[in-house]
Amino acid sequence: MIRSDIIRGHLESIILRLIYENDQYGYEISKQISVRTDNRFQIKEATLYAVFQRLEKKALIESYYGKVSHGGKRKYYRITMLGKAYLKETAREWKETKEIIDLFMEGLD
Amino acid sequence: MNKIKNHVDDLFEDIPKSEERETIKQEIYQNLEEKVYDLMVQGKEEEDAINKAIVEFGNIDEIKSELGVFSTNKDVKRIERAKIDLNFSIWGSILIIVLMVFINMYYSPSTIWFVYPTFAVLWWPLSMFYRWRKLK
Repeated sequence: MIRSDIIRGHLESIILRLIYENDQYGYEISKQISVRTDNRFQIKEATLYAVFQRLEKKALIESYYGKVSHGGKRKYYRITMLGKAYLKETAREWKETKEIIDLFMEGLD
Repeated sequence: MNKIKNHVDDLFEDIPKSEERETIKQEIYQNLEEKVYDLMVQGKEEEDAINKAIVEFGNIDEIKSELGVFSTNKDVKRIERAKIDLNFSIWGSILIIVLMVFINMYYSPSTIWFVYPTFAVLWWPLSMFYRWRKLK
Protein backbone atom coordinates (compact mmCIF):
# COMPACT_ATOMS: atom_id res chain seq x y z
CA MET A 1 0.00 0.00 0.00
CA ILE A 2 1.41 3.38 -0.92
CA ARG A 3 0.71 6.56 0.91
CA SER A 4 2.37 8.88 -1.46
CA ASP A 5 2.27 12.63 -1.56
CA ILE A 6 1.78 12.41 -5.28
CA ILE A 7 -1.60 10.76 -4.77
CA ARG A 8 -2.47 13.25 -2.07
CA GLY A 9 -2.36 16.05 -4.55
CA HIS A 10 -4.99 14.30 -6.64
CA LEU A 11 -7.38 13.21 -3.93
CA GLU A 12 -9.84 15.91 -4.87
CA SER A 13 -10.02 14.59 -8.41
CA ILE A 14 -10.27 10.99 -7.26
CA ILE A 15 -13.16 11.75 -4.94
CA LEU A 16 -14.85 14.01 -7.47
CA ARG A 17 -14.68 11.22 -10.01
CA LEU A 18 -16.38 8.79 -7.67
CA ILE A 19 -19.12 11.28 -6.84
CA TYR A 20 -19.43 12.06 -10.56
CA GLU A 21 -20.30 8.43 -11.25
CA ASN A 22 -23.08 8.49 -8.69
CA ASP A 23 -24.05 10.22 -5.48
CA GLN A 24 -22.26 8.61 -2.58
CA TYR A 25 -21.68 8.90 1.13
CA GLY A 26 -18.39 8.91 3.00
CA TYR A 27 -17.81 5.30 3.82
CA GLU A 28 -18.92 4.19 0.38
CA ILE A 29 -16.27 6.38 -1.19
CA SER A 30 -13.45 5.21 1.03
CA LYS A 31 -14.47 1.64 0.35
CA GLN A 32 -14.64 2.25 -3.39
CA ILE A 33 -11.12 3.65 -3.35
CA SER A 34 -9.79 0.58 -1.55
CA VAL A 35 -11.66 -1.82 -3.80
CA ARG A 36 -10.74 -0.17 -7.08
CA THR A 37 -7.08 0.08 -6.18
CA ASP A 38 -7.13 -3.48 -4.88
CA ASN A 39 -6.11 -2.14 -1.46
CA ARG A 40 -2.96 -0.60 -2.83
CA PHE A 41 -4.24 2.75 -1.71
CA GLN A 42 -6.50 3.45 1.24
CA ILE A 43 -7.77 6.82 2.21
CA LYS A 44 -7.83 7.78 5.86
CA GLU A 45 -11.21 8.99 7.06
CA ALA A 46 -9.70 12.16 8.43
CA THR A 47 -8.32 12.98 5.00
CA LEU A 48 -11.57 12.11 3.29
CA TYR A 49 -13.69 14.47 5.37
CA ALA A 50 -11.15 17.22 5.05
CA VAL A 51 -11.42 16.87 1.27
CA PHE A 52 -15.22 16.91 1.46
CA GLN A 53 -15.04 20.17 3.37
CA ARG A 54 -12.73 21.65 0.81
CA LEU A 55 -14.78 20.52 -2.17
CA GLU A 56 -17.97 21.75 -0.64
CA LYS A 57 -16.46 25.13 0.13
CA LYS A 58 -15.38 25.43 -3.47
CA ALA A 59 -18.94 24.50 -4.49
CA LEU A 60 -17.71 21.54 -6.50
CA ILE A 61 -19.99 19.18 -4.59
CA GLU A 62 -23.10 19.57 -2.50
CA SER A 63 -24.60 17.37 0.16
CA TYR A 64 -28.02 16.12 1.14
CA TYR A 65 -29.32 13.69 3.69
CA GLY A 66 -30.40 10.28 2.57
CA LYS A 67 -31.87 7.31 4.28
CA VAL A 68 -31.25 6.37 7.86
CA SER A 69 -28.69 3.66 8.38
CA HIS A 70 -26.48 2.46 11.22
CA GLY A 71 -25.69 5.38 13.45
CA GLY A 72 -27.90 7.99 11.79
CA LYS A 73 -28.76 9.59 8.48
CA ARG A 74 -26.33 9.14 5.67
CA LYS A 75 -24.93 12.33 4.21
CA TYR A 76 -24.70 11.96 0.47
CA TYR A 77 -22.71 14.09 -1.91
CA ARG A 78 -23.50 15.02 -5.46
CA ILE A 79 -21.35 16.79 -7.97
CA THR A 80 -22.27 20.29 -9.14
CA MET A 81 -21.97 21.73 -12.63
CA LEU A 82 -18.87 23.52 -11.48
CA GLY A 83 -17.54 20.25 -10.12
CA LYS A 84 -18.01 18.55 -13.46
CA ALA A 85 -16.16 21.30 -15.25
CA TYR A 86 -13.40 21.20 -12.68
CA LEU A 87 -13.09 17.45 -12.99
CA LYS A 88 -12.82 17.68 -16.75
CA GLU A 89 -10.13 20.28 -16.41
CA THR A 90 -8.09 18.27 -13.89
CA ALA A 91 -8.38 15.20 -16.11
CA ARG A 92 -6.91 17.15 -18.98
CA GLU A 93 -4.23 18.55 -16.73
CA TRP A 94 -3.36 15.13 -15.42
CA LYS A 95 -3.01 13.74 -18.92
CA GLU A 96 -0.52 16.41 -19.74
CA THR A 97 1.35 16.02 -16.45
CA LYS A 98 1.58 12.30 -17.01
CA GLU A 99 3.03 12.81 -20.46
CA ILE A 100 5.64 15.19 -19.13
CA ILE A 101 6.69 12.98 -16.24
CA ASP A 102 6.74 9.96 -18.51
CA LEU A 103 9.31 11.68 -20.68
CA PHE A 104 11.72 11.39 -17.78
CA MET A 105 10.57 8.22 -16.06
CA GLU A 106 10.12 5.81 -18.90
CA GLY A 107 12.63 3.20 -19.98
CA LEU A 108 14.56 3.13 -16.72
CA ASP A 109 13.76 -0.39 -15.50
CA MET B 1 -20.89 1.44 19.69
CA ASN B 2 -20.44 3.87 22.52
CA LYS B 3 -16.73 3.51 22.06
CA ILE B 4 -16.94 5.02 18.58
CA LYS B 5 -19.07 7.89 19.83
CA ASN B 6 -16.68 8.58 22.67
CA HIS B 7 -13.74 8.45 20.34
CA VAL B 8 -15.30 10.93 17.93
CA ASP B 9 -16.16 13.18 20.87
CA ASP B 10 -12.55 13.05 22.02
CA LEU B 11 -11.26 13.88 18.57
CA PHE B 12 -13.36 17.00 18.36
CA GLU B 13 -12.84 18.07 21.92
CA ASP B 14 -10.61 21.05 21.29
CA ILE B 15 -12.46 22.34 18.25
CA PRO B 16 -14.67 25.30 19.09
CA LYS B 17 -18.36 24.50 19.00
CA SER B 18 -20.19 25.45 15.83
CA GLU B 19 -22.90 24.11 13.64
CA GLU B 20 -20.33 23.05 11.10
CA ARG B 21 -18.48 21.07 13.72
CA GLU B 22 -21.62 19.22 14.80
CA THR B 23 -22.51 18.36 11.22
CA ILE B 24 -19.14 16.93 10.37
CA LYS B 25 -18.96 15.14 13.69
CA GLN B 26 -22.28 13.51 13.04
CA GLU B 27 -21.19 12.56 9.55
CA ILE B 28 -17.96 10.99 10.75
CA TYR B 29 -19.73 9.16 13.51
CA GLN B 30 -22.33 7.80 11.13
CA ASN B 31 -19.75 6.64 8.60
CA LEU B 32 -17.54 5.04 11.22
CA GLU B 33 -20.52 3.08 12.50
CA GLU B 34 -21.19 1.98 9.00
CA LYS B 35 -17.61 0.87 8.62
CA VAL B 36 -17.77 -1.10 11.84
CA TYR B 37 -20.95 -2.88 10.71
CA ASP B 38 -19.39 -3.62 7.37
CA LEU B 39 -16.28 -5.07 8.99
CA MET B 40 -18.47 -7.20 11.22
CA VAL B 41 -20.35 -8.50 8.21
CA GLN B 42 -16.97 -9.51 6.84
CA GLY B 43 -16.50 -11.63 9.94
CA LYS B 44 -14.67 -9.42 12.41
CA GLU B 45 -15.50 -9.33 16.09
CA GLU B 46 -17.14 -6.09 17.17
CA GLU B 47 -14.18 -5.15 19.33
CA ASP B 48 -11.72 -5.71 16.48
CA ALA B 49 -13.90 -3.86 14.02
CA ILE B 50 -14.15 -0.82 16.28
CA ASN B 51 -10.43 -0.77 16.89
CA LYS B 52 -9.67 -1.08 13.21
CA ALA B 53 -12.02 1.77 12.38
CA ILE B 54 -10.42 3.97 15.01
CA VAL B 55 -6.86 3.15 14.02
CA GLU B 56 -7.53 3.76 10.36
CA PHE B 57 -9.15 7.10 10.98
CA GLY B 58 -5.95 9.08 10.61
CA ASN B 59 -5.02 12.50 11.84
CA ILE B 60 -7.78 14.85 12.96
CA ASP B 61 -5.57 17.87 12.28
CA GLU B 62 -6.47 17.70 8.61
CA ILE B 63 -10.09 18.33 9.42
CA LYS B 64 -9.19 20.97 11.94
CA SER B 65 -7.37 23.00 9.36
CA GLU B 66 -10.37 22.75 7.03
CA LEU B 67 -12.60 23.98 9.81
CA GLY B 68 -10.29 26.93 10.21
CA VAL B 69 -8.82 25.77 13.48
CA PHE B 70 -5.22 26.23 12.53
CA SER B 71 -2.43 25.75 14.96
CA THR B 72 -2.08 29.53 14.78
CA ASN B 73 -3.41 29.72 18.30
CA LYS B 74 -0.26 28.07 19.51
CA ASP B 75 1.90 30.25 17.29
CA VAL B 76 0.31 33.42 18.55
CA LYS B 77 1.13 32.34 22.08
CA ARG B 78 4.72 31.59 21.13
CA ILE B 79 5.15 34.96 19.45
CA GLU B 80 3.62 36.60 22.50
CA ARG B 81 6.09 34.81 24.74
CA ALA B 82 9.01 35.67 22.49
CA LYS B 83 7.96 39.31 22.66
CA ILE B 84 7.94 39.24 26.45
CA ASP B 85 11.37 37.62 26.42
CA LEU B 86 12.62 40.31 24.08
CA ASN B 87 11.27 43.10 26.29
CA PHE B 88 12.78 41.51 29.34
CA SER B 89 16.15 41.14 27.66
CA ILE B 90 16.16 44.79 26.53
CA TRP B 91 15.33 46.14 29.99
CA GLY B 92 17.67 43.68 31.67
CA SER B 93 20.60 44.57 29.45
CA ILE B 94 19.96 48.32 29.85
CA LEU B 95 20.10 47.92 33.63
CA ILE B 96 23.30 45.88 33.46
CA ILE B 97 24.94 48.38 31.10
CA VAL B 98 23.91 51.35 33.26
CA LEU B 99 25.32 49.61 36.30
CA MET B 100 28.60 48.97 34.48
CA VAL B 101 28.81 52.60 33.35
CA PHE B 102 28.14 53.75 36.87
CA ILE B 103 30.80 51.51 38.43
CA ASN B 104 33.20 52.52 35.70
CA MET B 105 32.68 56.25 36.22
CA TYR B 106 32.56 56.05 39.99
CA TYR B 107 35.59 53.88 40.72
CA SER B 108 37.86 54.20 37.69
CA PRO B 109 36.90 57.20 35.54
CA SER B 110 40.35 57.26 33.98
CA THR B 111 39.94 53.91 32.13
CA ILE B 112 36.91 53.23 30.01
CA TRP B 113 36.26 49.51 30.36
CA PHE B 114 32.48 49.35 30.44
CA VAL B 115 32.30 48.80 26.66
CA TYR B 116 33.60 45.24 27.04
CA PRO B 117 30.81 43.94 29.30
CA THR B 118 28.37 46.01 27.22
CA PHE B 119 29.26 44.06 24.08
CA ALA B 120 28.99 40.80 25.97
CA VAL B 121 25.57 41.71 27.35
CA LEU B 122 24.23 42.86 23.97
CA TRP B 123 24.18 39.25 22.77
CA TRP B 124 21.21 38.70 25.00
CA PRO B 125 18.69 41.14 23.48
CA LEU B 126 20.14 40.45 20.04
CA SER B 127 19.42 36.73 20.23
CA MET B 128 15.95 37.41 21.64
CA PHE B 129 15.27 39.87 18.86
CA TYR B 130 16.09 37.37 16.15
CA ARG B 131 14.09 34.64 17.84
CA TRP B 132 11.09 36.95 17.92
CA ARG B 133 11.61 37.97 14.32
CA LYS B 134 11.87 34.36 13.20
CA LEU B 135 8.54 33.51 14.84
CA LYS B 136 6.80 36.60 13.53
